[in-house]
Amino acid sequence: MSLSPAARDHLLALADDEHMVGARHTNWIGLGPFLEEDLAFCSIAQDELGHAIALYRLILDDERPTADGSPATGERDAEADLRDQLALDAFAMMREPGDYRSCWLAEIECSEWNDSLVRHWLYDRAEELRWEALVGSGDERVAAVARRARNEERFHLTHADQFLSRIADSDTTGRIAASVERLAPIAAGVFDAADTESDAVAEGLVTTSSAELAGVWADRVRSDLARWGLSVDVDLDPAAQSARQAGRTVRSDGFDDLLADLQKVIREDPAAVW
Amino acid sequence: MRTYEVFLKKPGRDEFRHAGALDAPDDAMALTYAREAYVRRHEGDELWVVDRANVVVGNPDELAVNDDKPHRHNDGALVAARRKAERESQTDTRSVADA
Repeated sequence: MSLSPAARDHLLALADDEHMVGARHTNWIGLGPFLEEDLAFCSIAQDELGHAIALYRLILDDERPTADGSPATGERDAEADLRDQLALDAFAMMREPGDYRSCWLAEIECSEWNDSLVRHWLYDRAEELRWEALVGSGDERVAAVARRARNEERFHLTHADQFLSRIADSDTTGRIAASVERLAPIAAGVFDAADTESDAVAEGLVTTSSAELAGVWADRVRSDLARWGLSVDVDLDPAAQSARQAGRTVRSDGFDDLLADLQKVIREDPAAVW
Repeated sequence: MRTYEVFLKKPGRDEFRHAGALDAPDDAMALTYAREAYVRRHEGDELWVVDRANVVVGNPDELAVNDDKPHRHNDGALVAARRKAERESQTDTRSVADA
């Protein structure tokens, strides 16, 4: 079974989101507000990178020519595994900026803890729904990845909710509210879909359209804010941000620096493995 | 912040073991942090976190050293030797009877 162009577009957008948000989250390694939070946040980052790898693998497995002797299924030797790993690294790191399909929320730098925390919550609120829409995928490989990711996502959301619910009402400086106000409109761009999305829905790769998910997401975001006692007037309509991202084809400011950072090791040694 | 002691239990008959400690603002977050800090590699399938304030601590002065009481350090060697001797003498008797 191979991926249709619409299926590939859909999975690539999610994969690149997970990759970029995971990479940004890892900036807190060693710098978290306290040790326990440092560990928890970076563990979440690692989970997101794991989701990206799983999705990239689906896309690359699909593109791997089987004529060259490497079997698509069954026994694989260490050499084939290494080849796959290097191909995955190259795909993840070395595309032209215009070939990435991440949304701006996943890409932008959040150098303040309050911004990172709020992004974590807004992103994972959306991610929860995006994986849910893939759990019932007609492609069993996609559904399997989605089931696993959804289980991890539950803990990410618990973590975000626990942290924010405890500091929101004592946030006398208003920093959390300011972060929400700044990031929520950008966050809505998570639901900026490729123009092939209707095909992906029609073929059963994904069970709910982005437009539909965006509505559920906005309700949940508003209900979280109300529960935490944060009265912030937020614009959660994806239209404006989607126009800026142009179907995820336009990168955010600072993306080139992020990509250059990610490419440091692979440029030094293209055959490096971990 | 409160300090919590973390205990994990492996599947099977092992008892709960002390895994470490962590700081958290309350019970719910202590569980979240314990999961991320101590159970990421499935080190256990049951988890306790105990607020250190709830631990009843013994007074070190009252924990007398018992090194001068060898009868409290019985490693069972004497009993084992007697049981072995008993077993062997029974086997001898039985083999004679069988013959």
